[in-house]
Amino acid sequence: MMQQEKFEIWMIDYLSDELEGKDRLNFEKYLEENDDHRKQFEALKETWLQLDEVAIPETSPKMDEQFFDMLHDKMESQNHKKESGLGWLQSLVGSIKKSQLAFAMLILGVGIGAGYVLNNDSNSDTTVNTVNAVVDTNTETEEVRGQLVLTLLEQASANKRLQGVNEAAKLNDANERVIEALFTTLNNDPNVNVRLVAVESLAKYVDTPEVRMGLVKSIGFQDSPLVQIALADLMVALQEKTSVESMKQLLEQPDIDNTVKQKLEESINHII
Amino acid sequence: MQELTNNALMLKVKSGDLDKLGLLYERHKKRLFGFFFNMNSDAALSEDLVQNVFMRILKYKHTYTGEGSFTAWMFRTARNVNYDYYRRNKPENKTSEVSEVAYKLEDSDTIEKGIQEKENITVLHRAMQLLTPEKREVLVLSKIKEMQFSEVAEVLGCSEGAAKVKAHRALKALRTIYLQLETR
Repeated sequence: MMQQEKFEIWMIDYLSDELEGKDRLNFEKYLEENDDHRKQFEALKETWLQLDEVAIPETSPKMDEQFFDMLHDKMESQNHKKESGLGWLQSLVGSIKKSQLAFAMLILGVGIGAGYVLNNDSNSDTTVNTVNAVVDTNTETEEVRGQLVLTLLEQASANKRLQGVNEAAKLNDANERVIEALFTTLNNDPNVNVRLVAVESLAKYVDTPEVRMGLVKSIGFQDSPLVQIALADLMVALQEKTSVESMKQLLEQPDIDNTVKQKLEESINHII
Repeated sequence: MQELTNNALMLKVKSGDLDKLGLLYERHKKRLFGFFFNMNSDAALSEDLVQNVFMRILKYKHTYTGEGSFTAWMFRTARNVNYDYYRRNKPENKTSEVSEVAYKLEDSDTIEKGIQEKENITVLHRAMQLLTPEKREVLVLSKIKEMQFSEVAEVLGCSEGAAKVKAHRALKALRTIYLQLETR
């Protein structure tokens, strides 16, 4: 006979409908062959099913009233905080650099539920939607976010810079300073991941001719095969003919990675 | 599917869109009320505790990561609310003896109505109240239809196998108390 604890787990699986099809039949078959366990099962099954019959009273309208009163109060107090908080934040924007940093750390709490969850692949879609909703409805947040991007991109920690680049991708319309900062990151950042995400963030603004030109030029600055390939892919997607010259120059470099070489040749062919 | 939107709604609440909590409340109020009512058999108190759960969700919204199931996170909060309530308000040993409960049952109108089935359910409900809170809790959570056992385990902070073993033992203990009450 099966070990008791294993049987208990199996029985609960069966009772709570976690067994399906063949597995259910296997359990039933086992019971037919094991009288002792069948008796145990039948006794407990009755009690388990009776539990569904225990009546739960209806909730009262008072419960709803109390909840919505509470929620209303919280929303009111949140709005008051926002109003007074933004005036204070705006006075900080544009002041000296150190305070810029302090400001960014403070608004992390407000704006960076996003930054935190952006690194979480399983929820990224939901997060994108959530962040977009906030941005759409709040242009002030947009300004704050732009400022935050600039500050995060200057941080020593690669994670923070990564957050900054991710944040930039969420802006509806990046200003010149943000674009410039993203290019500085793309061309000079020591971390490959940060540079890769910078390519993605900048890809959002390829309708601007300066951004396209900047991306083309950047091909020659890159020493990481991954970034080189990401840029080549982007150029193919954009069918950017001016990039062919930059890619050819890169091909002439003696230490070029074989995969990259192959990729660049393919990309050039696709564009021409 | 609903779990996905629960998660999305909670992330919106986290990002400051507080009115989305209203939707989560409408979706889960009955289930939460049922959890508390099964735990304490007191409708008014259960309504207050449901309110406390949502206040706590708002207070700790920043800790919500979106990982795992929202329902499990919410019931973990409910569980903490329940513990905190009983820690602050220690119950005055009400109905802690089988004999007391049996005596009350003999006096109750329900039995006089003589409907066997209803009587059995009433006895079962009494038996539930005689279980230890831990056993009662695991049974109540196990019977929430929308929760998989993996989520019950998440709420209880143990492995799925351990949660099932606990559920089995609680069910067995409930059966024993039930039979004791029934034969009186």
